[in-house]
Amino acid sequence: MKRFFRELSVLGALAAVLVGMAIFAPAFFSPQPLLSLLTREAPTLIVACGMACVIITRQIDISVGSMFSVCSVCAGLLAARGWPLLLVLPASVALGALLGAVNGLLVAGLRLPSIVVTLATMVTLRQGLNLVRQGEFVNLPDRVQWFGLSQMAGQLVLVGASVVFLVALALAMRHVAAGRFVYAVGTDAEAARLAGIRPQLVTFLVFIFIGALTGLAAMMNLAQSPQVQPLSGAGLELKVIAAVVVGGVAISGGRGNLWGAFTGLLLLACVSPALIHLHIEAYWEKAIQGAIILLAVVADGLRTRKLNR
Amino acid sequence: MSVSPDNKNPRDWKALLTRHEMLLLYVLIAEWLFFYFAGTTTNRRGVVVGFGTLDRQFDILRHSCEIGLLALALTPVIITAGIDLSIGSLLGLCAILFGKLWHDGGLPIPVAAGLTLALGALAGGLNAILITALRLPPLIVTLGTYSLFRGLAEAITHGAITYTDFPASFLFVGQERWLGLPTQAWIFLGVALGVGLLVHRTTFGRAFRTIGFSLEGARYAGLPVARRLALVYVLAGLIAAIAAVIYTARLGQAKADAGTGYELFAITAVVLGGTSIFGGSGTVHGTLLGVAAIAVLKNGLACLPVVMRMNAAEEMSGLLTGALLLLALTASVLPKILSRFRTPHHAPAP
Repeated sequence: MKRFFRELSVLGALAAVLVGMAIFAPAFFSPQPLLSLLTREAPTLIVACGMACVIITRQIDISVGSMFSVCSVCAGLLAARGWPLLLVLPASVALGALLGAVNGLLVAGLRLPSIVVTLATMVTLRQGLNLVRQGEFVNLPDRVQWFGLSQMAGQLVLVGASVVFLVALALAMRHVAAGRFVYAVGTDAEAARLAGIRPQLVTFLVFIFIGALTGLAAMMNLAQSPQVQPLSGAGLELKVIAAVVVGGVAISGGRGNLWGAFTGLLLLACVSPALIHLHIEAYWEKAIQGAIILLAVVADGLRTRKLNR
Repeated sequence: MSVSPDNKNPRDWKALLTRHEMLLLYVLIAEWLFFYFAGTTTNRRGVVVGFGTLDRQFDILRHSCEIGLLALALTPVIITAGIDLSIGSLLGLCAILFGKLWHDGGLPIPVAAGLTLALGALAGGLNAILITALRLPPLIVTLGTYSLFRGLAEAITHGAITYTDFPASFLFVGQERWLGLPTQAWIFLGVALGVGLLVHRTTFGRAFRTIGFSLEGARYAGLPVARRLALVYVLAGLIAAIAAVIYTARLGQAKADAGTGYELFAITAVVLGGTSIFGGSGTVHGTLLGVAAIAVLKNGLACLPVVMRMNAAEEMSGLLTGALLLLALTASVLPKILSRFRTPHHAPAP
């Protein structure tokens, strides 16, 4: 109970928000809008899973938004060329993994700080995309939207797939050796090395992992609309980092789990419908996101200070 | 200039000529010459246009002031092994606050500017308190304020309001010349001198380097670590506010997206200038050279005929700056990596 205090407190906050919505805005709980909300958040959840792994290894990746856009546009172009979806999906995942490998090589191979490396790749990818595409939209063929299923079925498939993935990964992080390596490296890289783990290899693979997941998420987003917007991934990094940090994954590495990240994401996802209900304008969203990140890290900071006394 | 241990001997000219700052100076000169020859053309009336004109050189100086100021703000931060991602957003927020104080508050320009500087320092103080009092990592704190400051700027303006119609006496600061140089260049040089003295000629600067080299060591040595770190972040906020006023004066308008992405250019300039991203060492004159290298690149690209045809100067400079940062980072750790390969396996690790 005490061990999961942080996760449970986020769950409590989520429950409070949901109860508040049930009293003041019961329309929030009608099935169709709720399903739409979950579908919109499904790609974010996938990227958040990857981000949780990256932050647990004591790294960070702020290039996910740009990788997401690059993967979306490339996958869209392939689909528009008539590639079958079964080939576009692995292509998008592979492209994401490749971009992640570049980050991983610079961070793990050259031991550069991940924040600066991914800041550089974030801008390089974004501006490269702008340079090549000049902000053009990609029109997708009809059969891509909802994978050619009905909207309802497509939404259920996306939400279901992301939840199955979350559960599988959360269990793997706890019970599979590779998952424990991630925690070991984040807790103390030197101790992990002495225990026979190769910290740089784990870091490298984690960056590839988040890249591949970003490619997957781009595909899941692609299926939701008839066009690809090149700006669709802008700001994704903040949203995902906020969700993970709010969910109790410590930025200093080695602590936190995917259930927490999931709860954090749901909490943040409820913020914007709640804002609409409170008649707060949408311009405040970025400021509130920043404030929530600060609030979460301050809570963590106060707690570790209390524990250290 | 600071005396680093490797060139105490003044006759050791070889070491002096191969120092990081000197290497950067060679690159800068080569870059300038390239754009001078590739970016200067004569138009139909036989007038020289493009990179080679004196006006363009002043333009480069004018445009480099804001990024230069942010880079100056970041140099002490990075020397202490910290980072401040929020300065670009803070520039936007301060520009909006300045516009609002003047336009809606009815304050005279100097008072509004003074208040803006105070608010900038206050915003830097928010970073400082979170980083020092709670000992939170600067990375995540300033990532939070990066979003918070920009979000506040958007919320205040509803994403649409732009403050314009500033009086000519104020625009003089950003668009005219004074004593031969663009007016804001004097402010930039003044701040550069101040930061240079702080980092290289006072015990504060030595404290910054000590903290960056080893935070715990600095604490055991009895340095007031929290106060020194707080100073660095408050100073960064203050300088970002100065940059915001100058930005507004140059463009004649204050809007919420002012300074978007400037943190990348500033970080690149600092790292190019030889300040270690791991903290502990760095120079202000190196940063100035880094700023010059980026400003020449940005402006030079806009003069190249091929880039002009594609109408993609903005994207090109962003792309190349990102690539440049990766290259500079790689080059900075390359000697360490190579020496690791050269060390025989049985030798003890350094």
